[in-house]
Amino acid sequence: MTLYTRRRATNLVILTLSLFATGLGLLFLFLILGALLYHGLPALSFGTFTHATPAPGNQGGLSNAIYGSVVMTAVATLVGTPVGILTGTYLAEYGRGSWLAPVVRFVNDILLSAPSIVIGVFVYTLVVVPMGHFSAWAGSIALAILVVPVVVRTSEDMLNLVPSGLREAAFALGTPGWKVVVMITYRAALQGMMTGVMLAVARIAGETAPLLFTALNNQFSSANMNGPMANLPVVIFQFAMSPYADWQRLAWGGALLITFAILFLNIGARFLANWSGGSTSR
Amino acid sequence: MTIDVSPVDSPTQNSARPPLGTAPMVSVNRTAERGVPQTKVVIKDLRFYYKNYEALKGINLELYDRRVTAFIGPSGCGKSTLLRILNRIYDLYPGQRATGQVLVDGKDILDARQDLNLLRARIGMVFQKPTPFPMSIYDNIAFGIRLYEKLSAQELDNRVEQALRRAALWDEVKDKLKQSGLSLSGGQQQRLCIARAVAVKPEILLLDEPCSALDPLSTQRVEELIAELKSDYTIAIVTHNMQQAARSSDYTAFMYLGQLIEFDETEAIFTHPKERQTEDYITGRFG
Amino acid sequence: MVETAAFSHASQRSGRHRLEDAIFRNATRGFAIFVLLLLAAIMISLLVGALPAIRAFGFAFLWDQSWNPVKDLFGGAPAIYGTLVTSLIAMLIAVPVALGVAMFLTELCPPPLRRPIGILIELLAAIPSIIYGIWGLFILAPFLQETVQPFLGATLGAVPLLGVLFSGPPLGLGMLTAGLILAAMVLPFIAAVTRDVFMTVPAILRESAYGVGCTTAEVVRDIVLPYTRVGVVGGVMLGLGRALGETMAVTFVIGNAHRVSASLLAPGTTISATLANEFSEAVGPLYIPSLILLGFILFIITFAVLAAAKLMLLRLDRQAAK
Repeated sequence: MTLYTRRRATNLVILTLSLFATGLGLLFLFLILGALLYHGLPALSFGTFTHATPAPGNQGGLSNAIYGSVVMTAVATLVGTPVGILTGTYLAEYGRGSWLAPVVRFVNDILLSAPSIVIGVFVYTLVVVPMGHFSAWAGSIALAILVVPVVVRTSEDMLNLVPSGLREAAFALGTPGWKVVVMITYRAALQGMMTGVMLAVARIAGETAPLLFTALNNQFSSANMNGPMANLPVVIFQFAMSPYADWQRLAWGGALLITFAILFLNIGARFLANWSGGSTSR
Repeated sequence: MTIDVSPVDSPTQNSARPPLGTAPMVSVNRTAERGVPQTKVVIKDLRFYYKNYEALKGINLELYDRRVTAFIGPSGCGKSTLLRILNRIYDLYPGQRATGQVLVDGKDILDARQDLNLLRARIGMVFQKPTPFPMSIYDNIAFGIRLYEKLSAQELDNRVEQALRRAALWDEVKDKLKQSGLSLSGGQQQRLCIARAVAVKPEILLLDEPCSALDPLSTQRVEELIAELKSDYTIAIVTHNMQQAARSSDYTAFMYLGQLIEFDETEAIFTHPKERQTEDYITGRFG
Repeated sequence: MVETAAFSHASQRSGRHRLEDAIFRNATRGFAIFVLLLLAAIMISLLVGALPAIRAFGFAFLWDQSWNPVKDLFGGAPAIYGTLVTSLIAMLIAVPVALGVAMFLTELCPPPLRRPIGILIELLAAIPSIIYGIWGLFILAPFLQETVQPFLGATLGAVPLLGVLFSGPPLGLGMLTAGLILAAMVLPFIAAVTRDVFMTVPAILRESAYGVGCTTAEVVRDIVLPYTRVGVVGGVMLGLGRALGETMAVTFVIGNAHRVSASLLAPGTTISATLANEFSEAVGPLYIPSLILLGFILFIITFAVLAAAKLMLLRLDRQAAK
């Protein structure tokens, strides 16, 4: 075989492999989504949203788990977002030239990729043990710790995208530094930062590990943040691993709910990022 | 009233001047008609450093009240750098520093104790690239006013309208004040920035190549604007466009490689420059 | 000129401005320091929590295979082994496939399909790990148990040295399954990062390579990969970090046996799976500390991988700059 035909053959092989690779990836997606719809859809009904998790063998729903997930995600986002934005502000606006900024960035990257179960263990030792019991507060704190690095990263990136000319124009009017940041730079980067927050929410919405020993789970409906609170991921974990068919069905239903909520959040974030409702200049 | 610039020598001579029509037309500014010029800004032995690089090498000149001073020169000569010292906007960047004195109404603004925010409220700046704030047209103008003045809603409305009229933008935007400033065209955005700068009633206006990002029609309108604003403000304008300098300014400073080569009344600079370099630049031999 | 009355108002304001500026600036700095303290707190609390186990077992914990809650004898070897092996399997599968996907998306895919397929891959990355877990438990594991594993056992299992890796009864659950699920999890992530990085190659570089007569594969191998190697390495290391720390996807399918087995078909455990399964019910003076020690070890491993990645990227960057 000449060199040329061998090169062409190699090329063909590699390109075919890359096609298969993509096919494999897409196959996974469809297999997973397909299984979710196939097993999960029948498990969902109006009752899923109105009844709490049942004892094995009984009918029930996921209302307490849905409630718990929504509440803890909301609290975590409310706590973690300001921390993240302000840290990102420091890195983008005030950290130039200081030793602190590169160190914080490095540490932030570590936290971003830290195993979430380790975060759960940390919050257990710091919050659950002193409190003496599991609680939704602990769960929210664990989730908040996961939110912070994501928001720090996206905030810094988005703030850095704001052209320096805009800041200079604000300073040239005599605007004090903090107002330049808060009233001009934040406004210019708002869309991007919101996208970052949405992505952070999408990330923590499906997290199980950090909740396993912080919020634990609760078979009953509870709005008490000081005690264990049901949440979708842990319910899915418990029910799926169990030998009861009812529970397994509910697990699929919950999985479907979480997955599509997260997919909508992701797609929503994408739309937000691309939406140019008057805030892009010509 | 315009004066034709005709070369004194015929084109065939050795020290050939470029043929008729390529040297800029100079309009006689009515300097003499507007009274004796008062000194507003005195720049004494100003040096500027980017880290260790000396970008301005000892500048001495004066800016006169209610007159337009144009700064011309090839790229990199330091004219924008000089402008940015006047409102100390360079202070935002570590590693940049200025030595010497810049006296505005007798007070040295390079002094470390100078309050920068107050200074910049008195000295307005318009940049090369239009930078409307990401907010409504109304808020763009009101933003600066609100920083330092407490006005009633009616008073604020009036000030915004005044500023927009001054910038010859009012008629075009009066029905859409709530729309984002970014929805305007390039030329309109620049006029918005000018309106924003004059809204806070500064004493001095610094214009850094305000027309270079604009189309010719917008450029013309902005130049007309500058001519009108002259009666109330001290204006310093950096420009690459010599015709613009010749048309719009009372005084011109020619800079080259960080030094002030020549500073004189615009008419003098463009009709009989004293320095060889000035003449070369004006006639287009370099830059 | 700003009128005198307004001017004095202005200078009062400006004094307040300076204070507000300082407060804001220091607040942002404070939160930045808080992030540092957070990491420090995590490491310290893990270390403190693990102290009883460290004192009891010492370094031997790293290779001790026992796991006996009744007798309070614990060793981290099975968990550490499982973590490393499953991650290795995952990377061996995911990296080539991810590179293939990235190559397809940047070179081969018809332009109108690029965005949709890219988005689908990214959605795959967004699916939470617990979903992969239950999918693995209910769909993949039975499939492997009935078809793939017997096949592997019969074929590769018969090969002399290699066969040990595929010996034992086909259970469906085990390290191979866990590795596969991890690969599925990590794949979209590495693919997305690699694709983004591939797209930064300037068109003109690619065009000149094609212009010289390179085939597509050669363009990727000789132009794109060297140009982007920094980003690709970074993406791969990040993927590895995720694989090491992944909990839910693995817990469902690894079989939860504290054993170090040579066979990939055997059940085992990983650090995160052990924690997930046993932490909430652990009692005894050394049980929880041992678990925390495992968590600490996992944290150190991921930290080391990330730090190594960053250092490598830094060095590659500096080399490139020369």
